[in-house]
Amino acid sequence: MDSLQLGSYSFSSRLILGTGKFSSTRSMLEAVRSSGTQLVTVALRRFNRNQAEDDLFGPLSEIGGITLMPNTSGAATAKEAILAAHISRELSGSPFVKVEIHPNPHHLMPDPIETYEACKILAAEGFLVMPYIPADPVLAKRLEDVGCASVMPLGSAIGSGQGLSTAAMLSIIIRESGIPVIVDAGLRSPSEACAAMEMGCEAVLVNSAVAVARDPAAMAGAFARAVEAGRQASRAGIMPKSGTAVATSPLTSFLGTAP
Amino acid sequence: MPFIQIALNGQPQQIPEGSSVADLLALSGADRQQVAVVVNEHIVRPDERQGYPLHHNDQVDVLVFAGGG
Repeated sequence: MDSLQLGSYSFSSRLILGTGKFSSTRSMLEAVRSSGTQLVTVALRRFNRNQAEDDLFGPLSEIGGITLMPNTSGAATAKEAILAAHISRELSGSPFVKVEIHPNPHHLMPDPIETYEACKILAAEGFLVMPYIPADPVLAKRLEDVGCASVMPLGSAIGSGQGLSTAAMLSIIIRESGIPVIVDAGLRSPSEACAAMEMGCEAVLVNSAVAVARDPAAMAGAFARAVEAGRQASRAGIMPKSGTAVATSPLTSFLGTAP
Repeated sequence: MPFIQIALNGQPQQIPEGSSVADLLALSGADRQQVAVVVNEHIVRPDERQGYPLHHNDQVDVLVFAGGG
């Protein structure tokens, strides 16, 4: 069986879903169900008794077969991300953590130095560390060396919908990596998720493209099928490009031509 | 009854002296769901909350999981 292996965890779905930006908890839950995802990202937030619907732990627990991957969004330093990871593990019981450290709210680009420092410590503590990183092959390899379970380079800026603008660098990361490469951020449409999988990504993480769709559940289903198609194509062997035409039909022995 | 002042999720709050973390959760309506509690950057686990006393000027954060990507 073809499954996504992260640490000792095995997932048949290769679509990881974020839970932000949905118009309601109900809409998010419908998208989670429709996507068939088994790994879902959540964020820590301060409790507010007047916004009890913010708490997603209960509703997500009621859907069977979901593993939580809390993120450290909001952390601007390694120290803050490590504390967020510890709090999240306490709350979720999950060993997964998406390390996400972006100090600048205008571009949300991950800080590679703080991310590396946090990952090194969290991996040594036994977390299954999934760092959100710039599409940097050197950083990706260094994170593999310190024991991360995967690397999650960005396709483009968070929430931008600019797709696989880092495709050339992603190809290098995929070629060099000994751990799963998961494209996280920037995907706008299922065709881009399919393209990422065809390139050899092991999974994709999608949030905004599903959450802001007119019909999030339908879009989640579309992404799920695109991810499956891309994975199958990658395993089936995609034909090489040719600089010239290569005929698919015989060009000789046609009517009226000499044998 | 004497009171102490703490910061709950960044906001000043008066609570009765001698209150535990569990008392604070009940007082703030956070005792009916899964929450994480951090006092002065120390995580207080569920089985510690009843006997974990709060002191004047403690920084308490109560956290839940919300939507995020």
